[in-house]
Amino acid sequence: MSPRTPTRTEPGPDDGARHDTHADTADGAGCDAYDDVPHTVVADIAGLGVRLPGGTHLLHPAHATVHAGRITALTGASGSGKTTLLKALLGHLPPGATTDGTARVLGHDVLRLDRATLNRLRRTELAYVGQDPGSALNPRMSVRRIVAETARDRTRQGVEALLAECRLPLGDGLPDRRPGALSGGQQRRVALARALARNPRLLLLDEPTAGLDPALRDEIAHLLRHLADTRGLAVLMACHDPELVGACADDTIALATPGTPVQPPADPKPARIPTDGKPLGKRTAPRIGPIDVRPLVEPVAAVEPEHHGLAAHRITVTFGTGRGRRLALDGVDLTLPAGATVSIVGPSGSGKTTLLRVLAGLAVPDSGTLTLDGAPLRPAVRRRGRDRQRRIQLIPQNPLATLNPSRTVGAALARPLALHTRLTRGARTARVVELLELVGLPTAFTDRYPAELSGGQRQRVAIARALAVDPDYLLCDEITSALDPDTATAVMDLLRTVCAERGTALALVTHDHHLAADYTQTVHVLTDGRLTARGDTATLLTHTTRVVEKP
Amino acid sequence: MTTTATSTDNGAAAPTRPGRRRAARRALPLLVPAALFLAAALAGPWLAPHTIDAPVTATYAAAGDGALLGGDQLGRDVWSRLLHGGGELIGCAFLIGAAVTATAALLGCLAVLRPRAGRILERAADVAILLPSVLGIMLVALAWPDGGRWAVITAAVVLGTPFAVRVVAAAAAPLAAAGYVEAALMRGESSLSITVRELLPNLRGTVTALFGLRFVEAVYIISTAAFLQIGPQPPEADWALMIRENAPGILLNPWAVLAPSAAVALLAITVNLATSALAPRTQAVTSA
Repeated sequence: MSPRTPTRTEPGPDDGARHDTHADTADGAGCDAYDDVPHTVVADIAGLGVRLPGGTHLLHPAHATVHAGRITALTGASGSGKTTLLKALLGHLPPGATTDGTARVLGHDVLRLDRATLNRLRRTELAYVGQDPGSALNPRMSVRRIVAETARDRTRQGVEALLAECRLPLGDGLPDRRPGALSGGQQRRVALARALARNPRLLLLDEPTAGLDPALRDEIAHLLRHLADTRGLAVLMACHDPELVGACADDTIALATPGTPVQPPADPKPARIPTDGKPLGKRTAPRIGPIDVRPLVEPVAAVEPEHHGLAAHRITVTFGTGRGRRLALDGVDLTLPAGATVSIVGPSGSGKTTLLRVLAGLAVPDSGTLTLDGAPLRPAVRRRGRDRQRRIQLIPQNPLATLNPSRTVGAALARPLALHTRLTRGARTARVVELLELVGLPTAFTDRYPAELSGGQRQRVAIARALAVDPDYLLCDEITSALDPDTATAVMDLLRTVCAERGTALALVTHDHHLAADYTQTVHVLTDGRLTARGDTATLLTHTTRVVEKP
Repeated sequence: MTTTATSTDNGAAAPTRPGRRRAARRALPLLVPAALFLAAALAGPWLAPHTIDAPVTATYAAAGDGALLGGDQLGRDVWSRLLHGGGELIGCAFLIGAAVTATAALLGCLAVLRPRAGRILERAADVAILLPSVLGIMLVALAWPDGGRWAVITAAVVLGTPFAVRVVAAAAAPLAAAGYVEAALMRGESSLSITVRELLPNLRGTVTALFGLRFVEAVYIISTAAFLQIGPQPPEADWALMIRENAPGILLNPWAVLAPSAAVALLAITVNLATSALAPRTQAVTSA
């Protein structure tokens, strides 16, 4: 496979005994000690629970065993402690947290390990890719340097082989770009390449496929399978996505959250995934199924700007200058009629988000025009005027950054009201409570900080914040990609209900064709910055599984 | 979903309330020296046994004999002058530190939110950083001979700001792409409002640390200027002025030079410790 594993023999039946303690050997010396018999225990968690000083359980006592050469999936609803468990295996606990039970990684009790040994273990044996890997990549370094930094083989070929192994395109100058010029899915794969560069024994992945389109998700699944089989790598991944679990996991560990009656679907989920990888269930099933976009006969014709709605006409956006210049969008048209639901789908890096940001006024196109109700709309949001700013609202992608960590939920919701309405302070407080109720959150949340909310709860607050000013057009950028299927469905159902009630038009950017099919009327398919198809979701997105699976 | 959910992202964003309280308790031991020192320096004039301009002992008299730290070049009590000399220095340094930090916080965030203005601002700052501050102070003093302390303060603020703007802009740059800033842009917040409501609360650590550095830098600039006889004039009691005046007699009464020097150093160190203790821990980025 990659040219950087020559020092390592493939695991075979006649390989020697395990080297349980070789994590203690100095850097570099442990190279040939990697050949483990598959299925040796790499990490063992016995009754590990993590509690905050206030008594809140971040992780209820859990048992898990991770074997070399096997992929173990960690499932459970958001809030069940998947990330906490992964970080505990790195010996990283939230400040002040107390633990029960033990976590042993490669023979070390990581929670009671001294600093130096722990650092050596992290440096040589463990690799962790977080939920939002894009923000963990140094924005000032090129992809090539980011990967080479931790690599054993730092040569040009070595790095490129790694990138190719993670299915990143090498041809269009990607290795020399910086993370800011990559799409979310590409950033995720660069982070994975960087993690693999060290040749770790245990790979910890937090939501490895969140935000990736189905094709990429399949590739990642194959890649993980391939790594586990050929390198004898132990993979532990926290995962919302039953399809991915079904596609590549050998073992599944379900984290339960006792005492949460609000969420009945959380518990039976793991049981829905039989070992043969064929998931049952209704909504979760079609998420990865093959999508046939009807082949295009003639180029998509330009539409005349409509008189009711938000329209973009012949939008072209370029990134970079000089030789690194490339087209992100190439003459794209899009119309969002008042009260309609429109989705923009396409593979990772096809310009979906850029198009949405152009509509939002956060990215200024090089050419093309925007209209709102037939009247020209300024491309930069700052110059649009108060009322037009109110009418178009955005719900950002990353649930970690969607809310200001320094402000309470109440403050986040009250601010748009203060800006766009003439309500008094008391009336604003009452309205905040109404908004929280509207999105299905307890009213006590007004005093909470975003760090005290789960991803799904934050997206609900972000929806409430956007709805506070009663917009006519709501732009949503992959708002469910970091959420588990149940939470995602709940958030999308909420959005659909609220938008239908108020007559708000919804533009949905998603990599998930089934989300688009379920929640929108019209779909726009983007490929490499061009609009390749547009039409009714029911006719355009014909997926083989959907008709059968939907009861 | 609606569980008690802190788990997906613990340690990612702002610390929770118990965390804040714990941080405050940890910071206390580092705040005490600065508080004691500042209180002593500010209350000094009332504690001083003698006036600053009356000779009470012999020129460069050694310590003891009615004067705790001996006499200076005119036989004035060094201890009394030391107690008198801090207030104004601290006041000026505080003013400079606060003015530089506030200006830089606003300009730095603005530079990030308005990329075009930001480029001009940052290039201008790059040029201004190259000017040596002592040269700038002397220029201001020449152009404004009656300026006294205000000339020094003006020069220090003008010359200190460009560097601080770059620091704030660098810290604010990653935040400008955050969803909450974009959401604020979408609802039509002004740049000032985004700076104050969305960016600065998340830059508390940087801004507090910056204030500590600028305060120390201001003490240094004021002392340098005073040593060059720009700013306070004799017979004022001023630590930097005392060092200069008493330098010829350092062998006869070393305390006349050492005591004000130590006071300047202590001021810088204690204030810097206090601000670094007050600054929240650097916020962890999402992954470990």
